[in-house]
Amino acid sequence: MPVRGTPSRFLKSVLHNGVGRYVCQLKRISIIFSKNAQSSLGVRDFIEEGVVDYAKKNPGTVVYVSPQSCRIPRIVAEYLNGNVREEIITSKTAPQISELLSKLTNQSGLDVIRIRKPFHTDSPSIQGQWHPFTNRPPSIGPIRPHKQAAP
Amino acid sequence: MVFLTLPCWIRSRGPDRYWKVQELLKHARHFRGRKNRCYSLAVRAVRRAFVYATKARKLKKRNMRTLWISRIAAATREHGMKYPALMDNLTKSSVQLNRRVISDLAITEPRSFLSLAKLARARQQEGFRAVLGDGSEPPGVFSRVVMLQ
Repeated sequence: MPVRGTPSRFLKSVLHNGVGRYVCQLKRISIIFSKNAQSSLGVRDFIEEGVVDYAKKNPGTVVYVSPQSCRIPRIVAEYLNGNVREEIITSKTAPQISELLSKLTNQSGLDVIRIRKPFHTDSPSIQGQWHPFTNRPPSIGPIRPHKQAAP
Repeated sequence: MVFLTLPCWIRSRGPDRYWKVQELLKHARHFRGRKNRCYSLAVRAVRRAFVYATKARKLKKRNMRTLWISRIAAATREHGMKYPALMDNLTKSSVQLNRRVISDLAITEPRSFLSLAKLARARQQEGFRAVLGDGSEPPGVFSRVVMLQ
């Protein structure tokens, strides 16, 4: 994909998360599955055993479990900055689903697009950024008050 | 009498042409002229764009390296040295900084870069003394090679 054709962003953290306390950026998880279809077999196993532990471990995330008649089971993850991510979990086993959930928990809600640089600083220069006069000696001496020759 | 041949002549084409066309045109939206609207022109332009993007991945590495080298050369000439002298003497003093880091230092940390240039010049003088002078002078400090077990 060409660089100008696809969107890109700089590396950042949401409101300096982690510098002070860490706030889990995942707001809501909705697991949509069907009670009888074969594609949601893994989801049903996960809901039997793993969902309650997951919800207890992440107290800041709301977990909704909604059985509907649907062909493809999904996980809809909503983040604190408003981004919504949908993952399709047909024919996944329960450990795979818990792995996927932990990946979604660790993500911040920023877009998954090309990151221009893998680093970011707020203060890139400590000694003062170079400008054309950095390494030039001054051409006139220090400014002194004008000496009046007293008579 | 039942006429059966006429309905057989009516064919319905595929239902997805609009979405397949849009999938290609979305990669051409930022082009100039009719290439961003008309499918047949866009097909060729998008293919060229992808080919250029593939080739440019190698070129980008080359171009970035030449950019760093020219920046380091300009910065060392401000301090009275030349780029090959700086890099040779830095490697001989086992300073394993790559060109990207040294060019960033030259921009954002001018005094550290000055100290690197002075180090390289000292090592250069030691090299000259070792070659040109007789063995009476002591060997230099920066040309000591440290063996770490």
